[in-house]
Amino acid sequence: MADRDERTAEGRLAAVNGLDRTVRREAVLDASSGEVWEALTDERLLGEWLAPEAELDPVPGGVASFRFADGERREGTVLEVEEGRSLAFAWSREDGSASVVSFSLEPAAGGTRLVVVERGPQATMVPAGPEWTRRLRAFVAALSLVAS
Amino acid sequence: MTAAGIDRVFKALADPTRRRVVEALAGGSTVTASALAADLPITRQGVAKHLAALRRAELVQAERVGRETRYRLDGAPLEDAARWIATVGAEWDERLGALERLLDRRR
Repeated sequence: MADRDERTAEGRLAAVNGLDRTVRREAVLDASSGEVWEALTDERLLGEWLAPEAELDPVPGGVASFRFADGERREGTVLEVEEGRSLAFAWSREDGSASVVSFSLEPAAGGTRLVVVERGPQATMVPAGPEWTRRLRAFVAALSLVAS
Repeated sequence: MTAAGIDRVFKALADPTRRRVVEALAGGSTVTASALAADLPITRQGVAKHLAALRRAELVQAERVGRETRYRLDGAPLEDAARWIATVGAEWDERLGALERLLDRRR
C-alpha cells in the first residue's frame, strides 16, 4: 500500500477497489497441526501470541474475547469450528466496527500451513478492476438502449 | 472512520451510476455538474442527485469558483479503507511472528 500514489487516477481507483477489506496471511509453521490447533484454541497459549488476555470457547456461539497489550478490547463470538482444521470468529472493535477472522490449517511439507483471513465490512456491490469497468460499460450500454 | 461513516461510503458506492461519477472524477480534476452530465448518460438533475449522495458520504467535495460549483473527489474515505487493510495486515504479521516464536519455544 505504501508505494501507491494516492494522487493519481490509478491510485484513487485502486483505493476504491480497496474497499474490499480482506486481509489474508499464510505461514508454514514448524509444528504439527495438533500443536498449531492447540495454540489457536487454548486460552493460555492464545495469551502468548494473539492477545495477553484471551477468552475463547471453541464451540459455535462460544465467547471470543480479547484484550491487547495496548489495552484495546475486542469482543466476539465463535462462528464455526472444525476440530483440528478450521476456526472462525467475529469480533467487534471499540468503535463498533466488526470483522470476521478465520483460521484454517492443513499439513504441509515442513509442518503445518496456517491461513488467516480477516474480512471487514464489505463493499459487496463494488466490483474490482477490469470487472468493474466491464460491468460499467454494460450498464452504460443498457442505459443508452433505454434512452434511444 | 466510524462504522456509520463506512456504511455511508458503501451505500453511496453501491449505485453503479455513482461509481461512474466517482470514476469520472478520479482523474483528479474539478468539474461542474453540467460537464459531468455531458460525459454521462444521465441528466443534469440526475448528476446533481448523485453528487449530493456522494457529498453526504464525504466522497466528493464541492467548491464555489465564481458563479460555478465545482466538484472533486475526496480520497480520504477511500484511503481509510486502504489504511484498514494495511493496519490489519500489519497486526497479523506481528501476531503470526509471535505464534511462530511460541511454537519454536515449545519444541
